[in-house]
Amino acid sequence: MIESWQNQIKAAAAKGEKLTIHGSGSKSFLAPQGQGEVLDTRAHAGIVEYDPKELVIVVRCGTAIADVEKAMAAADQMLAFEPPHFGEHATMGGMVASSLSGPRRPYSGAVRDFVLGCKVIDGKGDHLSFGGKVMKNVAGFDVSRLLTGSLGTLGVITEVSFKCLPLPKAQQTRAFEMDAQSAIVAMNRWYAEANPVTATTWVNGKLYVRLAGAEPAVNSAVARLGGEALSDDVDWWRDWREQSHAFFGGDGPLIRVSCKSTAQWGDLANGADMQAIDWGGAQRWLRTASIALPAIREWARAEGGHASVFRGATSQAERSESLQPALSEVSQKIKASFDPYNVFPSLS
Amino acid sequence: MLTFERPTETAVAATVNSLRASYGDRTVTTHAVREHHSHGEGMQDSALPDVVVFPETNEEIASILKLCNQARIPVIAYGTGTSLEGHLKALYGGVCLDLSRMTKVLEINPEDLDCRVQAGVTREQLNADIRHTGLFFPIDPGANASIGGMSATRASGTNAVRYGTMRENVLGLTVITPDGRIIKTGTRARKSSAGYDLTRLYIGSEGTLGIITEIQLKLYGVPERISAAVCQFGDLHGAVNTVIMAMQLGIPMARIELLDDMQMQACIKYSKLEGLEPKPTLFMEFHGTDAYVSEQIEQMKSITADHGGSDYRFADKPEDRSKLWKARHDVYWAGMSFVPGKQCFATDTCVPISRLADCITEAKRIADASGLICMIVGHVGDGNFHVQITFDPNNADEHQRADDAASRIALVAIEMGGTCTGEHGIGIHKLDALKVEHGEGVDVMRTIKQALDPHNIMNPGKTIPMQ
Repeated sequence: MIESWQNQIKAAAAKGEKLTIHGSGSKSFLAPQGQGEVLDTRAHAGIVEYDPKELVIVVRCGTAIADVEKAMAAADQMLAFEPPHFGEHATMGGMVASSLSGPRRPYSGAVRDFVLGCKVIDGKGDHLSFGGKVMKNVAGFDVSRLLTGSLGTLGVITEVSFKCLPLPKAQQTRAFEMDAQSAIVAMNRWYAEANPVTATTWVNGKLYVRLAGAEPAVNSAVARLGGEALSDDVDWWRDWREQSHAFFGGDGPLIRVSCKSTAQWGDLANGADMQAIDWGGAQRWLRTASIALPAIREWARAEGGHASVFRGATSQAERSESLQPALSEVSQKIKASFDPYNVFPSLS
Repeated sequence: MLTFERPTETAVAATVNSLRASYGDRTVTTHAVREHHSHGEGMQDSALPDVVVFPETNEEIASILKLCNQARIPVIAYGTGTSLEGHLKALYGGVCLDLSRMTKVLEINPEDLDCRVQAGVTREQLNADIRHTGLFFPIDPGANASIGGMSATRASGTNAVRYGTMRENVLGLTVITPDGRIIKTGTRARKSSAGYDLTRLYIGSEGTLGIITEIQLKLYGVPERISAAVCQFGDLHGAVNTVIMAMQLGIPMARIELLDDMQMQACIKYSKLEGLEPKPTLFMEFHGTDAYVSEQIEQMKSITADHGGSDYRFADKPEDRSKLWKARHDVYWAGMSFVPGKQCFATDTCVPISRLADCITEAKRIADASGLICMIVGHVGDGNFHVQITFDPNNADEHQRADDAASRIALVAIEMGGTCTGEHGIGIHKLDALKVEHGEGVDVMRTIKQALDPHNIMNPGKTIPMQ
């Protein structure tokens, strides 16, 4: 498979043609518009290496996230960044290329924090290897991290190794009736107080706090924080992560705001029921017309962050903020280092 | 292929004159100061820069880089001079940028658990400045290094097993590019903004892509309880297997450090450790709530008992803990003083945790076969350990045997799916090992270097092999 992809890329480069890298398409709404032939990563699937004792799993790009999670769960382990799938057949390659992390992200780390190494075919058709299977590696530039989140613009990620973590022994979610601003304060305080918090979300007037870890730690945190138990919490967090929760329904665009976690509540979407607060306050979801985007971006900038239309974007400008010119130039140079013949889509 | 030629004396003299005109007595050319800036710790290989400048602002650094880029003069950033792999050796002379005047903590945001500092702030200064907030910055490579230097070398240290390395703890950077532009990567938001993750590219680039001048860092709440403990073992295997088991069970150790019998012998003598024997030993630290720490200790006790570990000696008081960790951090000096007249350098391999026992065994065999006195110490919870090899620098044969042993140990780790360097970096010493480890991947790294530093003025000859 690898060789045939290398040939396909070399041929496209020679003819000045474009290629689009595609997995199951579950996250293609995030990526720049592709052109030319499709290179389907699902043809290269399977777990290459998984010995739970190593705390490392090596997978091919086309492997379904669901299959990997199933294999890991059987060994009481997990991908600790809790990746959203957004589709039954979502692939590991797409997960890395889009760098999306789920509810656990502020507490355990992002996709890139768990990527230990990867293999990639660059725009010249060379199959290269970076990083490996170790927790710490300072040998040369951190190319694996550069590829994480590169949205198929630098090359075909063919294989990735991840750090695995043991599943928590105990888990409970507590729910609290609370206004948005009190929820922001509570999320930040409870985490800073070293409670074993692994997810926090405020939606429709309720704060949900997931506690997980060793049983005594969870029990003592439950006693300290109070709140009501959420009985179906595994399903609730899956729905939230997959955006199948009712909040995400409806036709209008969904705007994602990243900001400092303590940014005060701002009624940015005309009504508290149109905004949800995630990641301990560091991520806000808004259901509003994209026409409101400039004002929302201004608010986000003032709060140390940025905003973009996550679903329902009608242009690349809505999908991501433009970069400072010098940063953009550095990014273009990196793009050219991997893909000198512009075989893959450009970044913006 | 990267190339670089030592600039002509005329070009250097013109640059020094321009620098002196702009920065006056912050431009220094005395031999003593240049010598001080010509090397890090570790191997005593040094080469003097032509001039040392002490900039105070981003704008000053930007103009210095512009000047040097036009004149093709190399630039090497200097924090506190504690790097270990020859990062500071001025192979082609040039300008050393000493960032020790950039020591402002620019922002502390206790509620957001982050801060922004200038590159010259040291980790001890930062921790002193934020103590009143109940927060701390956990990355602890031992030396009182600067945050800029720690970012540039992607430093880690004893706390990495719990808190990660610089890679996981930097939210964003201000970097000055070789052509003198000031760029800001990342934001205070947890999710990076559009584009590539440039923060991660600059972290660990060893000053070869640009100068890091400001760093936005994550901070952590000081745990309710911190408890340190020492456990000794009859053999090395018992100690190593204890660590492997603890990691596989997910016990959230804050630190877990291994010292072999020879290293302990050196440390007992140097750091005057009482009541400990020259046996393989684990230094451990537990962080958390009172109940959580007690539970972690109970779990660890049952694992160590299964592997022939001794009873624990606890150090709960801050001063006792400091003494214990100072002894751990002083292993290099302990090693040097243990074998007077010799020099010492350390390997830095890191392997998957399941291969740790095999790798340490093989490393010890290679070390013993070299006929030199070697000591093993390491952050074994990450799979990272150092063999400190002592040798007589004036004895060519010993020097050669030390080099051979170090290279063989690095290759063993790479064969086991590991790396030649877990935390010290490539510098000039591991350029060959990098090629073995990454093969053609090094070509892409070189292309990136060429693209971002077309005249190769940023710390030339380091990190990425020239060809």
